[in-house]
Amino acid sequence: MDFAMDSATQERIEKLNELGREHMRPLGIEADQLGRPTPPDHPYFEKLVGMGYGRTRYKGRKGESDSAKKSSDTTQAKRMGRSRASLLLSEQMSYWDRGVAVSAPGPGLGEGAIMSMGTEEQKERYLSPFIKLDKPRWGAFAMTEPAAGSDVASIQTRAIKDGDNWVLIGNKSFSGNSSRSDFILVWATVDPSLGRGGHRAFLVERGMPGLQDFHIEKKMGLKAYESTSFRLEECRVPSENLLGGEAYYESRAGFKGAMATFNATRPLIAAMAVGIGRSALDESLAFARDNQILDDPRIRDRLERVTRKLRAARLLCLKAAWLADHQRPNIVEASMSKAVAPTAAFEATSLGMELLGMVGGRGDHLIEKLFRDVKAMDIVEGTGQIQRVVMARQLVGLPHG
Amino acid sequence: MFELDPGEDITLIVDVVQRFASDILSQQYRDFEADKAIPEAVLKSYSALGLSAMELPETLGGAGLGSRAKCAVLEELGYGDPGAALALDGIGPALYAIAELGGDSALENTILPRLDNPAARIALIWDDGKPQKLHSLQRSGDQYNGTAPWLPCTDADLLIILDKQGASLIDSGFTFTPLKGSGLRAAGAAEVVLQQALIVERWDNPAAAARSLAKWQLYIAALLVGVSRVAADTSREYAMERVAFGKPIAHHQALAFLIVDMRTAVDSSRLLVQDAACRADAGQSFEEAAATAFVEALESALFVTPNALQIFGGQGFMQDLPLEKYMREARTLGLLAGGIDLAKEIAGQALCSIDATVELSALALAE
Repeated sequence: MDFAMDSATQERIEKLNELGREHMRPLGIEADQLGRPTPPDHPYFEKLVGMGYGRTRYKGRKGESDSAKKSSDTTQAKRMGRSRASLLLSEQMSYWDRGVAVSAPGPGLGEGAIMSMGTEEQKERYLSPFIKLDKPRWGAFAMTEPAAGSDVASIQTRAIKDGDNWVLIGNKSFSGNSSRSDFILVWATVDPSLGRGGHRAFLVERGMPGLQDFHIEKKMGLKAYESTSFRLEECRVPSENLLGGEAYYESRAGFKGAMATFNATRPLIAAMAVGIGRSALDESLAFARDNQILDDPRIRDRLERVTRKLRAARLLCLKAAWLADHQRPNIVEASMSKAVAPTAAFEATSLGMELLGMVGGRGDHLIEKLFRDVKAMDIVEGTGQIQRVVMARQLVGLPHG
Repeated sequence: MFELDPGEDITLIVDVVQRFASDILSQQYRDFEADKAIPEAVLKSYSALGLSAMELPETLGGAGLGSRAKCAVLEELGYGDPGAALALDGIGPALYAIAELGGDSALENTILPRLDNPAARIALIWDDGKPQKLHSLQRSGDQYNGTAPWLPCTDADLLIILDKQGASLIDSGFTFTPLKGSGLRAAGAAEVVLQQALIVERWDNPAAAARSLAKWQLYIAALLVGVSRVAADTSREYAMERVAFGKPIAHHQALAFLIVDMRTAVDSSRLLVQDAACRADAGQSFEEAAATAFVEALESALFVTPNALQIFGGQGFMQDLPLEKYMREARTLGLLAGGIDLAKEIAGQALCSIDATVELSALALAE
């Protein structure tokens, strides 16, 4: 149960370290100082695309039928470590800069839903431009609203059927990269009283009339990527843009049937927190060494604790990903990693600030930036409290609602 | 790549030990405590499982199984009764000091003759090198004097005293005086006084001493994980049955969150133990990982076991139920293997001695 990585992942991480050192970290610091996201026409994004980043898992119609023909043995073996490999890559990207990592071109958070629920036409239309990117492109995902965060069931954005169209009315907030995206996967409800059963997802394209009022939020940290709110002002969307088509929802009573028994995203976000925490730990160790305060056992004890908590968090992430790789239920483990890693990482950054002492108050040290960056990790993709609710449902049958 | 699956061999062994722990240890723990001993029959049935030589190299007639397997066994025994675990495994962690410091010849001389005797005891004692303490041990020349204030055993025919530099083997000049004991009473409890006890063999090798201590820490950590797990399981099940204010107490969010945090503490420490054990089995440096696992396992146990008792309320305080015992076991296990401060010191020192650029820390992914 060691971290021995396969050589392909190892190679990718080494390449990533180069990119991180030369570009990601400096860009993150620059965005933090300027207080705005890295602009979409920045040459860094061209470089990323040139290096092959931002590509979709979608293989195209032809590719998909090819892979289906392959013997199940080889595809299975290849797939084994996928969650773990992407977990380690995510951790390492966040080690260099989590904000810059999220700003990277790519189909975005909606990719998974499009892959699992989308029609063949939808996959082709929205994901095939990401098979090999001709230029930096983004896709976005919009669930959160001003009045609905963790309580996703109560989103208010309305979807009203009007002939061959759907009309979307509502406000979305904190949607990553959405003002620069080709499409946004927007979640709306046909009837708020139905909860998740009333939810529908729509592929809203840039330029569709009524998709408007993009506002890039000012954040405490993670400034390198845009968190954007926007309005859907009677935005008309053709009915073929309903994700999965009508039939999908009729057959499953909304989204209730779509809940997977394993989750690969929560451990991924948790791993990003571990990356930030490691970054803070390394900076703290370097600072403590340079300032000759490591001979104080109180300081060593606290560094020991932070290291231990990060190590445990990483193991929990890897365990959750390992279960996902083996297609085994991991609801408890995925939430566990997500509940634990952000607080461990927060503690690392906060200890770093204390080691810096008054230097931390200056506002120009990387640890100070990490301290501001890390807090979001306990909020996105389900807060620590929501993760505990999810675990409690599994472990003690905590009733819904 | 990260591999959680322990493999078929370990899974089979764990199944057997699990059954032994639930059929015997979990049933008789109060008798063990009252007698401060394990009945002959239980010793024999454990011995029949054939686990006493599991870690010995195959060249010496052992099974050659590693730390991962041993930790899995200890976790299950700890789940049943950690005091009994110490009594059943009479050679216990002393094996590590003998193997690491004395090598094969010492194993042949000390371990092999005792293997077939389930009642054989070798006591392992940590000498923290602080003679100013009232209960302490002093080594001068080829003799040991002083007091070990508590050992979780009634008697032993051999003492191994481990310190940072090495270990001393002693076979006479000591007396055991029985004590009431706080936790782990199933193993017995005694004070040991050494009077001009002759060191019959002295091994000096700080690196090997560090590895011996690390394996001892891992041994205790695995038992602690077992105690935490049984406490978390027992209290979770109870919280789903017990009704207060109109619903199961587990459905009050204050307890629901506590219960999931307890499970998280168990899983975290368990993974750290498995990780350290795998490093040891792979022949990598594992001292820091073992110390880390020990600290986490103890902190987790000291979080989980008192809260498990708390969930039972007044009943938890009563000796009709094992909750109060879990708490005592966790607390006293953590006093062994040099205790938590030593472990923190080892892990902290290792962290501080990393002499590399910033991005090559102990937790770096690619090296």
